[in-house]
Amino acid sequence: MRKFMVIAIPLFSLLIFVGIMLSGDFLKKPLGNYDDIPGSINELIQTVQSEKWDEAGIKVKELNAKWKRIVNRVQFSSERDEINFFSMSLARLEGAILVKDKINAVMELKEAYEHWDQLGQ
Amino acid sequence: MNEGLVVLVRSIIAFFSLLIFTRIIGKEQISQLTFFDYVLGITIGSIAASLTTDLSSRAWPHWVGLITWAALGFLMEIITLKWRYAAKVLEGEPDIVIMNGKILEKTLKKSKYRVSDILELLRNQGIFDLNEVNYAIMESNGRLSVLKKPEHQPLTPNDMNIQVKDKGISTELIYDGILFTENLKQVGKDESWLMDQLKSQGINNISEVFLATINPEGNLYIDKYDDHLQKAIDIGDYKGPF
Repeated sequence: MRKFMVIAIPLFSLLIFVGIMLSGDFLKKPLGNYDDIPGSINELIQTVQSEKWDEAGIKVKELNAKWKRIVNRVQFSSERDEINFFSMSLARLEGAILVKDKINAVMELKEAYEHWDQLGQ
Repeated sequence: MNEGLVVLVRSIIAFFSLLIFTRIIGKEQISQLTFFDYVLGITIGSIAASLTTDLSSRAWPHWVGLITWAALGFLMEIITLKWRYAAKVLEGEPDIVIMNGKILEKTLKKSKYRVSDILELLRNQGIFDLNEVNYAIMESNGRLSVLKKPEHQPLTPNDMNIQVKDKGISTELIYDGILFTENLKQVGKDESWLMDQLKSQGINNISEVFLATINPEGNLYIDKYDDHLQKAIDIGDYKGPF
């Protein structure tokens, strides 16, 4: 029993560590509508393209809230830079929506999606 | 992103991974390490440090680096254990630097040691006169093993044909006021015997004892918390803060 524990505890610990380090790709996936970042980005692209700026303003705030929820889950397994880049994209997106700049808003949304895609990989 | 929390979690991962890997790699002490083992240790430590604090990249690649270095170190250890030829290549082999009292300059040059280094290593072993040295061997871990000339070797009981008893090693019976009953059983004594011994030295309770050991001849060494010393000798050569 003792020998089993001596082997099992380190092995189990290593498995947990590997699990934590590789959990990003899994944990970023949406569990419901409240944390569906790719869905929100796609919706926002459509909203911006149809130039519904008031709706886009509300949706970007929702996207921000979803992002804050996701960051807590993926922070242990992701690069700080990818997290920061996504946050920066969101900030720039808010600015673009505020001044009703369709081109920059779509660009920022596409960039944010790319950062999202790279998160935890 | 809570950077402090991320560093905390990564530190736990790095700390315990390092602990597990070093336990697997082996039990060699610092003094037994070859130069390569030393470099291996530094590299693994450095990767663990990056794993902990380098948040600009994910923990996973650092951890893969850590486990790869540890696995290669372990592999090298297995190879050197099983294959003597490989051990000679990987770990090096001892070089004779002094033979029959003569310094072998070529060997010194090959192992990149100066005479002053050899003299220093000899002095570390209490040898201040080269005339005393018969053989000196530079081991692969960088330590110097010395065989003195017969006339300079210390006299042993065997030289005098004197029979000496094997003293063996002492066993701890009490440490920090706690009795080790298993050790007591192992030496064939019981608690009442121990209490009698303690009472004969003016000790009424085990908790008064800091350390008690017994040697194979049955002699007890007892150190109490209360040392009853008037004034402990201060070996410091200058006044410090304490």
